[in-house]
Amino acid sequence: MQQYGARREMPELKQLVTEASRALARLDASRLEELALSCQALNRDLAVAGEEDRVELARQARDAAGEMAAFAKVLDMTRGNLNVMFRLQQLLSGRLEYGESPAREWAPPGSGHGDN
Amino acid sequence: MGTINSAFSLISGALNADQAALSIVANNVANASTPGYAEETPNWQENQPVTINGVQYGAGVTETGATSLRDRVLEQRLDQQQQLASSSGARLTALNSIQALFTPDSGSASSTAGDIGSDITSFFSSFASLEANPTNNSLRENVLSSATTLAGDVSNAAASLNQQSAALDQQASGVTSQVNSLTTSLAQLNQQIQTASPNADAGPLEDQRQEDLSQLSQLIGINQITTENNGISVTTTSGQTLVSENTSFQMTSGTEAGVTHFFVGNTDITSQLASGGGELGGYLTARDQDIPSAMNSLDQLAYNISTKVNTLNNAGTDLEGVTGSVASPLNIFSQPTAVAGSAVSMSVAMTDPNQIAAAAAGAATGDNTNATAMANLAGQTIVNGQTPTDFFSNFASTLGATVSGVQDENTAQNASVTQLQTQNDALSSVNLNDEAGAMSTLQSSYQAASQVFTMLNTIMVSVLNLGVETTVS
Repeated sequence: MQQYGARREMPELKQLVTEASRALARLDASRLEELALSCQALNRDLAVAGEEDRVELARQARDAAGEMAAFAKVLDMTRGNLNVMFRLQQLLSGRLEYGESPAREWAPPGSGHGDN
Repeated sequence: MGTINSAFSLISGALNADQAALSIVANNVANASTPGYAEETPNWQENQPVTINGVQYGAGVTETGATSLRDRVLEQRLDQQQQLASSSGARLTALNSIQALFTPDSGSASSTAGDIGSDITSFFSSFASLEANPTNNSLRENVLSSATTLAGDVSNAAASLNQQSAALDQQASGVTSQVNSLTTSLAQLNQQIQTASPNADAGPLEDQRQEDLSQLSQLIGINQITTENNGISVTTTSGQTLVSENTSFQMTSGTEAGVTHFFVGNTDITSQLASGGGELGGYLTARDQDIPSAMNSLDQLAYNISTKVNTLNNAGTDLEGVTGSVASPLNIFSQPTAVAGSAVSMSVAMTDPNQIAAAAAGAATGDNTNATAMANLAGQTIVNGQTPTDFFSNFASTLGATVSGVQDENTAQNASVTQLQTQNDALSSVNLNDEAGAMSTLQSSYQAASQVFTMLNTIMVSVLNLGVETTVS
């Protein structure tokens, strides 16, 4: 397995997080999947990383805290947008029916008014 | 003859319908790059059947107009996010200017607001130097010189904040005419749409109305309410009506206590606009919240340093053996009368270095007790429960955290706007992506991003716990 210390080309964690935010903004699913694979590799390397590498990564993690907060916000807003789109899709496909009394769903079959 | 006419009518009707549909397609292509243009689809209406030799035949369809593919839910979400992004963008620009003011410029020879932290240290250090040789004139001059630098940097910073506030005030004021122009246009479009197409999509007119709403969303925070006959009412986010049916309510501005306030009728909506969003919300938040907060910190710093130093200097004996009194105070700084305004008016009142009371009251002029007391102010919690340097340092950190937070918000809001525009383009603009594909992209991007976030979070938690020992008692 490639050691963590050998990953000279690995960008700083900060750049990785920034790139993830940007990719999510432009809905670049392919790029996000690539980044997910990079993170997986990083996670694997971390398991066998030496003390020095872990200290270096800790520095990078502290440095990337602001970008991580921004990424969390982008993710949160994307969830909001996704919810809007889901609801919109349901509305467009007529799956949401308004005007239906919710109580009807609770009444057992064949029951009349007043049955609870 | 009637039979031929009927058959011909059926064929020509189909051709006309096709031609009309083709016109709509051509219109879509021609308007592919028109801002706010929503793709139109032809509406088909079944014609009355015709009877030929006693047999009824379908008479085909007639193209009865076009419906734009738009969705108000999505458009309103987009407008809402645009309001937030515009607001945080305008606020961020202002905050960056404020932060730049307090950032030390290592390359500059002259002292600036960014040097206030080191100015405070130098000022109190000059008393520490005087302690060693309280009668030395050069050291006394050094005290006044460092006091002048500190006072100059604080008052210049306050003056710059006032200038920034005035500039924001002017920018905010300039938004009024743009808002009024758009609300007037919206009211006119409402009337045209309600007249032309009260029960169906009005195509280009609705495109124009949506474009106006988008522009208005960039300027101020608004709510849109769909009304009867395809109309739209527009209010501020706090409910002040700007457009109702074919009437627009103009926003006016006026100066109160030196700053611009905004009105609809006689109602002052300034604070509502500040929290509402849009560029105006950002300008007003920076003008009415961020700058006053920074100014208040500077005022606290200037007031407390000036009054505490003056009090101690008046309690000691100067080089001439004089002790300060109410009638003839020995003030190093101009004595502030109130916290507000202390920063902008901070200055050094003392011109004669001999008036620095290094000695304790009644002590000989070579005594350094009072100089020591003034040097010790540096380590005392004399500004809102903090030492002067800690107070300034915390102020700068808080400002930095605010800038960073607004930057994060702006990044996320712009990302959200980009995403929604992509979705809206897929639904209502002329391109080859279909709505389902766009939805799928949004979903898969979110899922992949969630994975990235979870893994990054795991990595960060893992490495940041490195070396932290858990104590078990």
